[in-house]
Amino acid sequence: MPTRKLVTRYEDDLTLWPDRYHKLGLVVGVIAVALFPFIAGSHALAVSHTALIAIVGAIGMMILTGFCGQVSLGHAAFLALGAYTVAILGGTFGWPFWLALPVAGIVAAVAGLLVGPFALRLEGLYLAIVTVGLLFLVDHLLRNGLDIAYGRDYLTVPMHSWFAEPDPTALGSFRDSGWLSAEQKLYALFVAVAAFAAWVSKNIQRSRTGRAMMAVRDRDLAAEVLGVDAARTKFLAFGLSSFFAGIAGGLYAFAHPVVTLEPFGLAMSVGYIAMVVLGGAGTTFGAVWGALAFTALLPLAEVVGGGLPFPDAFSSENRAVLLFYPALCLFLVFEPLGLLGIWLRVKRYFMAWPFRY
Amino acid sequence: MSDLLQYLVSGVALGGVYALVALGFVVIYRASRVFNFAHGELLAFGALAMIWLTAPPVDPADMLSIGAPEVSGLGLPWLVALPLTLAGTGLLAAVIERLALRPLVGRPVFVPIIITLFIGAILRTAMILIFGAGAMPLAAPWDPMGAFDLAGASLGYTSAAIIIASALALAAFFLLLRFTRLGVAMRATSSDQETALALGIPVGKIFAATWIIAGAFAALAGICVGVRDPQIDPTVGFIALRAFPAVIVGGLESPTGAVLAGVLLGVAEVLCAGYLNDALGAMGRNFHIVMPYLVMIAVLIVRPYGLLGQRTVERL
Repeated sequence: MPTRKLVTRYEDDLTLWPDRYHKLGLVVGVIAVALFPFIAGSHALAVSHTALIAIVGAIGMMILTGFCGQVSLGHAAFLALGAYTVAILGGTFGWPFWLALPVAGIVAAVAGLLVGPFALRLEGLYLAIVTVGLLFLVDHLLRNGLDIAYGRDYLTVPMHSWFAEPDPTALGSFRDSGWLSAEQKLYALFVAVAAFAAWVSKNIQRSRTGRAMMAVRDRDLAAEVLGVDAARTKFLAFGLSSFFAGIAGGLYAFAHPVVTLEPFGLAMSVGYIAMVVLGGAGTTFGAVWGALAFTALLPLAEVVGGGLPFPDAFSSENRAVLLFYPALCLFLVFEPLGLLGIWLRVKRYFMAWPFRY
Repeated sequence: MSDLLQYLVSGVALGGVYALVALGFVVIYRASRVFNFAHGELLAFGALAMIWLTAPPVDPADMLSIGAPEVSGLGLPWLVALPLTLAGTGLLAAVIERLALRPLVGRPVFVPIIITLFIGAILRTAMILIFGAGAMPLAAPWDPMGAFDLAGASLGYTSAAIIIASALALAAFFLLLRFTRLGVAMRATSSDQETALALGIPVGKIFAATWIIAGAFAALAGICVGVRDPQIDPTVGFIALRAFPAVIVGGLESPTGAVLAGVLLGVAEVLCAGYLNDALGAMGRNFHIVMPYLVMIAVLIVRPYGLLGQRTVERL
């Protein structure tokens, strides 16, 4: 049974909010997102920062893996590039945040385009493993490059002067309003960036570029026969994906006072692929909800794991792994469409009601 | 000159470990078209199980005293513990395959990748839970300081044991693949699963057998790493990440390629650490760790399927 209205015209296929249910959902969503920072405590707000960063990063991953079918385990490398770009531009050169953020995206995108040529030669597993190599390579370059330039491999981010201090003399800062806390301002910025990313991804998905990517994903040889320029499409996917990864890295730097290399490891890349698969590969819906669900695991593990007899040395990540990863594995095995599959089932039930499908 | 010889000897010992790890990846990939990212954790499991089996038992009351050994085990002799460890790790690998990967046949390539990475994380955390996060020594039955003298270079007993053990294991595997019924069935399965099934080969059992063999290889590699390093902890499995270039340079389908590339990259890594790192100045710190990846990328530009891998021909 179909889960959307019958499309008879191309314009119908393109509309973002096709019917009143979508419009209603949009209104409810906007209200919820707008009210959240005033209701939530500071811990929940910090979690929401992580979740919004994850949404931007997951959208980048979705464009590459979900739309274009190229498996990359090097996503964290692009996030690291973005984070360090922001830290260097802001800390050393004193750039305002709104200028540093797009530059972070562009730096990462350029790095992504450099990887592109390898992606054209390789497929599937070979690409996945080469991108693991990319992780090590970027880590090595950053570690030693920073050591030469700064004598250390961690950098402080001037988050405080951007968002917290009421200093009206500095230009281009996002502070100065006494009625919002620094966390709430960050939240507003992150929501705006995440919404922009989702909008771009949705536009790619429903237009010619996205269709070309999906054709390449399903069979690149067949796509070429149909007139899709597979090389150009893969290049574009790598560039866009690493652009959003760089932006997500920049946001990460905003949310943390100090940027270190440790979090940008294989585990982070794995987390992003997990979000994409968990949410439902090939849709913007999947990227957003997968990111939200995956980010929720860690705080949830703190709540659930608090009462369990784990050794003290166990970090909350260890707890999350033991508590939720087996369930995640089962979920991946039995629900190929991820959260999207569940959502479609719910939707179908209500569309067919009072009949059973 | 004796420097060079020394580097070559330690390079071959390191390469032996890489070859064992890489062969584990290749064996699994050939049979079930899965790249097992949990291989490193199987390796760690083998090493830790070996420690637990061989370490002498300690009275729980003494464990808290200062200077007590880090681990209390069963105190089995090596000759008993070794086959037990190999079999146990192999079994664990087979269970992983049956429960988590068999249902994924036919799913997109990134789903098995994610599942094996998750299983790796679960295994690693479970091992921290069981064995503790601390580092433990794996005592070798020979004198760990002893060494042969080889024309000016010293070949430690441990290095010699690693080279001999990997050579024996690799030889046994190639004989199995070449001359036994199981080996023929494994080769048939890897070349075409459906045809093999149609010819009456129990493909499921072949999967189990290959995973057991790969698990045993992983355990052997883990034991080699365990006797080589003074102490190991449950995160020792990350060493498998460093064997990736060997797998890819050799070609994912080629056991010969994996062994060859493993040994070559081991030697290259030691030579790089010995000669090239200093020459690169400040950027050269730990350069030998990323060097195999650069070699891998260079090889893939020239030959996208590795040195000995199969070039796939696609048909629409």
